[in-house]
Amino acid sequence: MNRVNRPALLPRLCIHAVVYALALTMLVPFAWMVSTSLKTRDRAIAAPPEGSKAALLWALPAGGPREWRWRNYADAWHAARLGRFYANSAFVAVTVTLLAVIHNALAGFAFAKLRFAGRRPAFALVLATMMLPYQVYFIFAYVLCAWLGYIDHFQALIVPFLASAFGIFYMRQAIGSVPDDLLDAGRIDGLTTFELFRHVAVPIVRPALGALAIFTFMASWNSFFWPLIVIDSGDMYTLPLAVAALSTATYSDSWPVQMAAATIITLPVIAVFLVFQRWFVRGIALTGVKG
Amino acid sequence: MKVRRQAWQGWSFVAFPLAVLLLFTALPTVLGAALSLFEWTGGGEARFVGLANFRQAAHDPALWNALRNTVLFAVGTVPLTILLAFPLAVALHAPWFVGRTALRTVFFLPTVISIVAIGLIWRWVLEPSTAGLLNVTLTEIANLPHTLGLTATRVHPDWPQWLGNTGWGLGTIVAVSTWRGLGFAIVLYLAAVGNVPQAQVEAAAVDGAGPWQIMWRITWPTVRPMTFFLLVTGMIGALQVFDIVLVMVGTFEQRSTDVLNLYLYREFVRSRLGYAATISVIVLLATALVTALQVAWRRSDLEAAA
Repeated sequence: MNRVNRPALLPRLCIHAVVYALALTMLVPFAWMVSTSLKTRDRAIAAPPEGSKAALLWALPAGGPREWRWRNYADAWHAARLGRFYANSAFVAVTVTLLAVIHNALAGFAFAKLRFAGRRPAFALVLATMMLPYQVYFIFAYVLCAWLGYIDHFQALIVPFLASAFGIFYMRQAIGSVPDDLLDAGRIDGLTTFELFRHVAVPIVRPALGALAIFTFMASWNSFFWPLIVIDSGDMYTLPLAVAALSTATYSDSWPVQMAAATIITLPVIAVFLVFQRWFVRGIALTGVKG
Repeated sequence: MKVRRQAWQGWSFVAFPLAVLLLFTALPTVLGAALSLFEWTGGGEARFVGLANFRQAAHDPALWNALRNTVLFAVGTVPLTILLAFPLAVALHAPWFVGRTALRTVFFLPTVISIVAIGLIWRWVLEPSTAGLLNVTLTEIANLPHTLGLTATRVHPDWPQWLGNTGWGLGTIVAVSTWRGLGFAIVLYLAAVGNVPQAQVEAAAVDGAGPWQIMWRITWPTVRPMTFFLLVTGMIGALQVFDIVLVMVGTFEQRSTDVLNLYLYREFVRSRLGYAATISVIVLLATALVTALQVAWRRSDLEAAA
């Protein structure tokens, strides 16, 4: 039956060719990054010899793996102190993800399943803040952080993200689909409201929690604008800030070292993505729920 | 009694998350909007100046330039992304497409990578010297006749400064931004394309419609809500463009690629918070206006269809 909507052979080949060509443009920059990261500086900035075949060889790092310049990775790692910033980024992202998902789920549960005075205006507030672009609130969010003494501390990267309007909204939608009968049954069995949340609602919406967790983690890990504003000193940098700084510092003239740094921050993300792809895609598709 | 207990319990669940939203989003928004009527350096007294900031904004050529670039960026990126993502999603959804699962992963890859890495990689690919990958590739393509032995001499074209202060700057940023956001749109379209009723497709095929016609006459109208969603959220996101320009060009003012949020960021760094707030209000108003226009357009569209 699937054949009904199948183009003829020639168009089909053309479609494959075009789509694969586009897919190649997705990969080539990353391949180029890895290739450059293993070259010496001189080799990286040398123009290719004339002729296409020679140009193809020029694109690869010289010789075999033994001649590749692995030192670029050590240089990038030490110059940008990536170990330290890896730890910073991981600490911030993990903390934010764990706590924000719990808080959002708690609030989402209350909005979906509990009746209480002031619920409607409270939820209206959630919806209203979900629509706001960050430009309008970052100035006073910064002022507040400064007043609280958070500037240049992890608190500035964590506390404002301990709950999110979108996360609350999403968890409310997810928990809304949990059957009321199930909760009533739990209540009759004498479960407290928190136990209903923990032992009835949470197990059912686990996929949604996972998707929200991935979404939150990615947002925190890749976050750039806010850390740029609230973090000044080198020790507190997150990974993106550190790598951005590298390109203006010691190795600003060495593309191989910069590409090594880019590889170091990129490859783990790609690995995690490949392992948890399903969750990533669902996390991204989440934003489609917003509409 | 029971209701009262639920009130207490309900609030115990939402109090902390709401406080976070209130303190770090809602309240700062109100204060930020108010700040647009003041002059303030962040320390000391704020001085009330009425609409002076907005008057200054109206006569600020750099701001108008940034606004123009921001709008051009949005108008370039969003339709380009949609028009590429939809056919790609249809192809990557088709059972006859070889390797569709692997390719979905490939297209999605740039979406998960940190913007900083994206900036580094692309600046190197676009490097204007003779070692830049794009320039080398283009030169080889231009020399294809020579390589095939059709012409005697090699040509050495001068390629533009892709990210420089030329007409190319913004176009390059639109291209890289589309490259990065494509996978995101494809994933959303894949979900929507999966919902097209198979019976309808088969009926159309029986009536003699080809795949191309089915794609545009049946699938495209069916995924319209998703297109609309991508259009609205894409426009909102594009009007807030910031980090991609920062990592590709820098924070300094380059006329051809300056955008509203970069301007806003510079004003913020220079402690001209009142004027920064004014720009943020302009961004907010532009966002609201675009969204309202699109919703109104869609409503009339839906009513016409009904």
